[in-house]
Amino acid sequence: MKMYPKEVEKILQKVQKPGRYVGGETHSVVKNKDEVDVRFAFCFPDIYEIGMSHLGIKILYGAMNQVPYFWCERVFAPWVDMEQEMLKRNIPLYALESGSPVKDFDFIGFTLQYELSYTNILNMLKLSGIPLRSKDRPDLFNIVVAGGPCACNPEPLADFFDIFFLGDGEEVDIEVMELYRQCKKTGASKDEFLMRAAQIEGVYVPSLYDVEYNQDGTVKSCIPKEGAPAKVCKRNVNNMDSAYFPETFPVPLIEVIHDRVSVEVLRGCIRGCRFCQAGFLYRPFREKSIETIDRQCQALCASTGYDEISLSSLSTSDYSSLNELLDYLHRWTETEKVSLSLPSLRVDNFSPELMERVNSVRKSGLTFAPEAGSQRMRDVINKNVTEEELLRTVNVAFTEGWTRIKLYFMIGLPTETIDDVLAILDLGKKVVDAFYANKEKPRGKPVEVSLSAAAFVPKPFTPFQWFGQDTMELLHEKQYELKTNNPSRRVSVSYHGAETSFLEAVFARGDRRLCAVLEKAVEQGFHFDSWDECFDFNRWMELFKLCGLDPVFYANRTRGFDEIFPWDHLDYGVRKEFLIEECKRAYEGLTTPNCLEKCSNCGAACYKGGICIENR
Amino acid sequence: MKTVRVWFSKTGVAKYISHLDLTRCMSRALKLSKLPVWYTEGFNPHIYMTFAMPLSLGVEGLRECMDIRLTEDMELSAAARQLAEHLPKDISVLEITEPVLSFDATAFAEYELCFDSKDPQALADVLDEILSLDSIIVMKHSKKGDKEFDIKPHFALLDKQIEPVLLRVKLQSSCSQEGSVNPSLLLEAVKQYKGLEPYAEITRIKLLAKDFSDMR
Repeated sequence: MKMYPKEVEKILQKVQKPGRYVGGETHSVVKNKDEVDVRFAFCFPDIYEIGMSHLGIKILYGAMNQVPYFWCERVFAPWVDMEQEMLKRNIPLYALESGSPVKDFDFIGFTLQYELSYTNILNMLKLSGIPLRSKDRPDLFNIVVAGGPCACNPEPLADFFDIFFLGDGEEVDIEVMELYRQCKKTGASKDEFLMRAAQIEGVYVPSLYDVEYNQDGTVKSCIPKEGAPAKVCKRNVNNMDSAYFPETFPVPLIEVIHDRVSVEVLRGCIRGCRFCQAGFLYRPFREKSIETIDRQCQALCASTGYDEISLSSLSTSDYSSLNELLDYLHRWTETEKVSLSLPSLRVDNFSPELMERVNSVRKSGLTFAPEAGSQRMRDVINKNVTEEELLRTVNVAFTEGWTRIKLYFMIGLPTETIDDVLAILDLGKKVVDAFYANKEKPRGKPVEVSLSAAAFVPKPFTPFQWFGQDTMELLHEKQYELKTNNPSRRVSVSYHGAETSFLEAVFARGDRRLCAVLEKAVEQGFHFDSWDECFDFNRWMELFKLCGLDPVFYANRTRGFDEIFPWDHLDYGVRKEFLIEECKRAYEGLTTPNCLEKCSNCGAACYKGGICIENR
Repeated sequence: MKTVRVWFSKTGVAKYISHLDLTRCMSRALKLSKLPVWYTEGFNPHIYMTFAMPLSLGVEGLRECMDIRLTEDMELSAAARQLAEHLPKDISVLEITEPVLSFDATAFAEYELCFDSKDPQALADVLDEILSLDSIIVMKHSKKGDKEFDIKPHFALLDKQIEPVLLRVKLQSSCSQEGSVNPSLLLEAVKQYKGLEPYAEITRIKLLAKDFSDMR
């Protein structure tokens, strides 16, 4: 059944992986466009294989399509070869389910997963023939919305979007669509709709806020108008057992990155690692019950035919009764030949018993994230993992037969010295030594330790939101030290570009003036900046110059505690005073207990849910 | 245990599923069908499946086949119905049979090429002209690089039909485990010899044995 436009057929023969552009997957939802009231184009600003691996899109797709008079369809960014062919033939971007052009949709929704996808977002609007700026879309139609982690500071995109959803999306999206439906019926204007939408918890309408700047370029004030709230609170879903979760999703015909069933077992994280934005944005820590997880796993396996389940969350090994959960699932997964995998393992709760219960991790090496090389540095970032724990864990792994260990680190962390950077290499060497000292290590196979060092990007709503990112020169120097001091042939070192991290830092803590840069970028054909083959740092620098903006102001400037941030009118429950306290503790090298050990009064208890109200 | 042959068609959007992705698709459908299929033994057991001849990406197949093993005896028509229910919309099970020939008996395939053309007669003449040459050398693109290849011995024209803006060509080409020739190479020849770039939809109608009888 072909739904895509007829002219597409001919170009499909010319592009890589045409299966990305044809739809027709089992369980994709096809409705009659004349019989629904509101059409929502869910746009993922990256290629099909990445978008189809994303759990959020599956949840929201299911939640919207459950409502008979809503129809949510999927749109992905066409890869550069397809984009070129579409442009050549004037074929506008279309949705996979109906093949309708995106410009026919009531809502165009994006998920904001990473800063480097911003050009793709605007490029997708451009390919759809939809005006980029919100003010150039005066009608109650083509409402452009977004949610996801980067919505916590959406200011660099503020001029383009009508609405941002803050926090958990499964309820608020539906409420806003419902409001739109009412407004359509009564013939209300777009302005009226937006004013009313701004009253819904979790809805941020950027056009209802006037931002003024100080002489030095910092924000002076952000004043709400038309009755919009002074603080926009994120939406929070407390009960994960009753929250909507899909029983099925479109099963891709071509292989995608995470080609398996993915079930969310908990939301939030107890840890409070100071660099991690998600750890603060998604508070409080809320678990699903074993029975709910089991039911959802069974339903999804039964509808999709996948033989692998990923139990996903920010930190699945923190699930309070993980072994019981795995045993409960094993009642049926073994006979059905379904394997279980955990996407994130922590160094401090890895055990042979756990490994026996999850089979699929055996396929490749083991990955852990100590994040920093020295204990001092790990204390600064509140990654409460010790060297002893790491060495104990790798010893368990060696005894169990693993020989490949991958360790993730960050460089450019606050207070970091060259000694802290070199400690990464020492740690790698100690893991190699532990292998040779282990009497039960596998015979005949050498150990391989890969150390991967990413450049730290300071993010809003973390204790490091005031920190000026290391300059690229300094990051390059640190990378050079890592490269040249590698102590062992069994250790390999890799790192990511400082340039992309710099750009991420600019947009992560950027303000509305950056909209001009993004608009120019898209005019000039920028896209897929998270892909090395498309990223052109020098051209980006030229754009900043053209717009009269200094990227260093956003990325490398250390802020004072009294500065008003572009995102200060957005409220994720965690108090700014708490983040200041955490920042000070970081610089003193003091750790903070996790939510399970002790409440640190961050502010997330305002939601009256999850671990904040449960007995510890 | 019994080996059975699943005959299926792969049309519409399914023609854009690569061979590797097709095996994944089949494996999910077989799992959902709850047929008593045999799993390979070893550390990572998977459903045993073997295909006669992989179909090129972008080519439709009207009668493709794969072999699976059933660990219990069952009515093959019931098995076909069960599997059909769980396949994507554009993959249909035609029937399940007991295999007669082994897969290495496959020697040729019959294809239909459906050309979009404003002047189908002229295009037909071009094809005739090229096919009457003693050798037809085209550049064959592969992972190892491009190389020259004579497609002449591998093609036999069966039939031509001229319709208002359409040219339908039926042909046979080599299709065996020793080597297969994709009919898109004929399009490549038209491009190289005549500088034309006609667009054609290609369908593999069926697989043939050495004596040109249908694969069974």
